[in-house]
Amino acid sequence: MPESVTPALRRLARRLTIGLFLDIFPVWAVGGLLVAGIVALVCRLFVPAAAPIVHWLWLAPLVAILPAVFLCMRRSYRPAEVVAVADWLNGGHGTLLALHETHDTSWSGSALAARAATFTLPRLRPWRRLAAVPPALAFMIAALWIPQRLPRPTNTLVAEEIAGNLTATVSELKQQQLITPEEEKKLEEEIERIRKNAEERVDASSWEAADSLRDRLAADVAEKQDAIQWAEQTLARVAAAAGAGSSTEGKAAEQSAELMKALERLAGRGLLEGAPHELQQLAAGGKLPADAASLQKLMASLAKHLGDAKGRVAGVRKLAKAGGRFDPSEFPLESGESAPDGNQPGRGGIDRGRADADLTWGKESAPYDRFKSHALPPGAERSPDDWAPVVEIPGAPRESPVASVSSAARQYSAVAGQSAWRRSLAPRHQSAVKKYFDK
Amino acid sequence: MTDHQLISPERLADGQAQVARVVGALRQVILGKENTIDEVVAALLARGHVLLEGLPGLGKTELVKALSRLLSLDFRRIQFTPDLLPTDITGSHILQEQNGRKDFVFHPGPVFTNLLLADEINRASPKTQAALLEAMQEHRVTAFGETRPLPEPFFVLATQNPIELEGTYPLPEAQLDRFMFKIDIAGVDRSVLEEILTTRVHGEPPSLEPMLDANDLRGLFALVDAVHLPRAVANYAARLVAASHPASSEAPEQVRTFVKHGCSPRAAIAIGAAARGLALLRGKPHVGFDDVRRVAAPAMAHRLVLDYAARLDAWDGRRVVGALLDAVPEVERGLPQTLETR
Repeated sequence: MPESVTPALRRLARRLTIGLFLDIFPVWAVGGLLVAGIVALVCRLFVPAAAPIVHWLWLAPLVAILPAVFLCMRRSYRPAEVVAVADWLNGGHGTLLALHETHDTSWSGSALAARAATFTLPRLRPWRRLAAVPPALAFMIAALWIPQRLPRPTNTLVAEEIAGNLTATVSELKQQQLITPEEEKKLEEEIERIRKNAEERVDASSWEAADSLRDRLAADVAEKQDAIQWAEQTLARVAAAAGAGSSTEGKAAEQSAELMKALERLAGRGLLEGAPHELQQLAAGGKLPADAASLQKLMASLAKHLGDAKGRVAGVRKLAKAGGRFDPSEFPLESGESAPDGNQPGRGGIDRGRADADLTWGKESAPYDRFKSHALPPGAERSPDDWAPVVEIPGAPRESPVASVSSAARQYSAVAGQSAWRRSLAPRHQSAVKKYFDK
Repeated sequence: MTDHQLISPERLADGQAQVARVVGALRQVILGKENTIDEVVAALLARGHVLLEGLPGLGKTELVKALSRLLSLDFRRIQFTPDLLPTDITGSHILQEQNGRKDFVFHPGPVFTNLLLADEINRASPKTQAALLEAMQEHRVTAFGETRPLPEPFFVLATQNPIELEGTYPLPEAQLDRFMFKIDIAGVDRSVLEEILTTRVHGEPPSLEPMLDANDLRGLFALVDAVHLPRAVANYAARLVAASHPASSEAPEQVRTFVKHGCSPRAAIAIGAAARGLALLRGKPHVGFDDVRRVAAPAMAHRLVLDYAARLDAWDGRRVVGALLDAVPEVERGLPQTLETR
């Protein structure tokens, strides 16, 4: 092979290698990008655990270089093939091929060989193959930009959450010795039932059941708090009267009776468990001591016990109210705003629903008289038969089903047409049509 | 890589000069038929037989006669007719009295020559046409169980008329396959006619003197055999012939549609040999892709057995070969798709 041809052949071999790589690489790059995009898409949609590593998929086109280089090396042009391409580029006269195969030097310096050495290198057109890469790249970027889709919580998780809140409340009540073991057992059974129902199906009823139980707990705690408060107020009145010593016999007896009732209420709410023995005896039906010293000692003991119970109940009540329930005290009125008129619907008032019961506000009565029950009138829907003509306009047509001429449909309904409407009407409409024509 | 050496430039130049003289003389006789002359000379250098097809009066016979004069070879002409017998070609035994004794003596026919002009070969019966088969392929004749070799070199240049097909017998494929080239003689244009009219009285061609004898021809044949055929070029010729078969995976759509049977291996051999002859004619010590492309049509077109659909769609062998040349790339492994020629 003439020396003058060798550099040109080397350049051609280099260009062929580049062209070969540009032929192979885009295919792998596009494949890698599409696979990476699909993987990213799947991870974004279904595999949240892979979210931290998904962004590394942008390396896919870089990784595709490796197989492309490997294939390039395997498919690289052999020297004879390079010479054949060069000869073809030179017009296909065969001189380069002959010189390459024979190594005959007698023709190396000839005009034939000189002519064969001058061939134009082929031009690179990389975008012919790389044109498919940008869409694939866009697909992968779009897949990576999709926000991670988190799975909806399962029923079990929701049920555990519902039951967990309730169980925490019950545990707190138990810790504060505000419920008896029997009550605790019943509550746990009820919580378990709510949890199982929520596991089967989570809907509004699950939350309503939990809210209902929480309400009951809150109401129970509120009752306890009311009982403690009532006992404290009664005790304060009795102590004040005893200290003043000016109360009449009848009033003292009335205050004593009220205190006894308050103690009974405390005992009924289980608030005297753990109380001093004399207090439990008094609540069980004893009498107040007659002498002032014993009475003073008893009232001191009662005050101390009520203070302890009040502290325990206050903490628990806050817990019982927790759980997303609406508490008006958390939304204080802004300055300048008046309190909503509860009896004016549409002005921020509270919808009391049906019935005509008055809504009582304020603390004008004793705790147990605060809400008075009223029997509601029996409800009944108005019947169209109750309607009576207000006035009769002279000249108005009188419509009487009996006097009017019956329509053809009504007249022949028994003998004709039934088969027709039964056949052409949907079953769910047949009864309505039948009722209309039979009236 | 082979240990084949290229022909030396001096030897090639001598050979090319001889051929160029013959070609130049032929071009003086037959005006406006440069390509036909090149093809005929290339086939002769490759020791192949040629079938010339064309309308009457286009110089077919004149070309062969001029060639015979230039080569100073023994020349015979047979005018094929329907009543021509095989023995009229090969020769026959005749009862002859010699020294008072009667014996059958073989009288060689006109086939015993160097250059045989088989004029209007398609007018003879198939039996007579077949008498040429052995002579063309094996350069020998067998008569009465006795085989006689033909003189070397032996060429058959046959002509046939594509019209007046009444009472003709188209050459069978086996016979056509024996011809290295089938050359279609086209008409001449106005300028050539004008030159004929102004330079020739009664259309008589200029007289020719012999330029090459049998020894010169043998030397040229040796030179043609020494022309190097690169492997990639041979691969191209082989792929061309392989793609002419409709069952081939590389066959183009036109071949699948119009070709019933592709070319025989003899076509590939003919392409290689004729390309060598053409390379010598062009003064090259080797064959190139361009030589193969040049000889592909005359070497392959008559070897294709076309389907009836080809006749309906006006496709002939040359057009199919053209489609083949367009479809089959010269280099088996061409440029990558991201590269293009300027």
